Amino acid sequence: MGVYRPSQARQQQGQTAPQEPNLVPIMNLFITIIPFLMLMIVISQVAMIALNFESSGVSGGSGEGAGGGSEALVEIRIYATEHETGLFPGFEIRDLDKSVIKLPKAGDAFDFASLQNNLVRLKEKYPDKSEIGVVVYPDVMYDILIRTIDICKQTGFVTVKYMNPKEMYYY
Amino acid sequence: MSVHGQVVSKKQGSRRVRKKAEEAHGLSITSLLDVLTIILVFLIKNVSMETTKISELEDMIYPQTITNEKLMENPEVVPVKMYQDKILFGIESLPLGTPDDMISDANTREAMKQFFLNEMASIPEAKKSSACLVVQADAFIRCVYVTEIIRVATYANFPNIYFATIEDPDWLSDYRPASIQ
Repeated sequence: MGVYRPSQARQQQGQTAPQEPNLVPIMNLFITIIPFLMLMIVISQVAMIALNFESSGVSGGSGEGAGGGSEALVEIRIYATEHETGLFPGFEIRDLDKSVIKLPKAGDAFDFASLQNNLVRLKEKYPDKSEIGVVVYPDVMYDILIRTIDICKQTGFVTVKYMNPKEMYYY
Repeated sequence: MSVHGQVVSKKQGSRRVRKKAEEAHGLSITSLLDVLTIILVFLIKNVSMETTKISELEDMIYPQTITNEKLMENPEVVPVKMYQDKILFGIESLPLGTPDDMISDANTREAMKQFFLNEMASIPEAKKSSACLVVQADAFIRCVYVTEIIRVATYANFPNIYFATIEDPDWLSDYRPASIQ
């Protein structure tokens, strides 16, 4: 009668401790991905200002359903410092009742505080109006345009129409 | 990792008993892995490829605004970077001369028109309504150049145009013109 040694498999089942999964490869992957993703995070967020277009102004187009230009608008005209033949450098607000408010520059500075006060007053006068036209002359700095649009939106005129002046400077 | 076995011998009569060697346990990284997994999921959720297209340019001075509007959901973004001495178009930042070239040179305007038309043509029909032109312009360029960009973009039927700015809730109270800063 033969004698057999116990099965090797059975012997191992009884003796081997449960193995922990090897996490080193996945750790390597994570340590690679996380710095990469952190590099892609934008710390200084760029803000955005949306724009609408007056069809009779900058050759058509409309943003978010605006455009058309048939409805009367409160207008802000921005005149630049240079070539102000007959015009004054600063803001001119044209009300719907054809009255004009002139806000000339104080020294080097555009009078944004007065512009804001006047727009707040106009918003109280026309609470249902949310559109406003900004007529910008060619020599005006982009910074002034954006700040003007910003004040319009802040005071409740959320739909700002970018308009080109029909009359131009005479050089 | 070395295994330190400790052999203890006891005297039990004449028989020597060898205690089983104990393995030193490795540092458990399971909790670290949990934390990293949470961070990874959080970062992946927050990464926006559209934001990277219009990230802040270090060599550009942006105008400041109080208002901050959200870009449309899943837009087809075409950025235009307008410096005082050059204009770069698209995600690839293709140079197209100076701002003055855009006004004085008909070929530059034609190339710009073709670029915008090609960009619009490359956008799938279903996404055309969310096509956005994002103008990243230096604060101290003249509006005539911005107007020209907008004129051509509207000709190419871009339905949405955004201006990139830097949000600053206090700019109005702190406002000083550049010449006296």
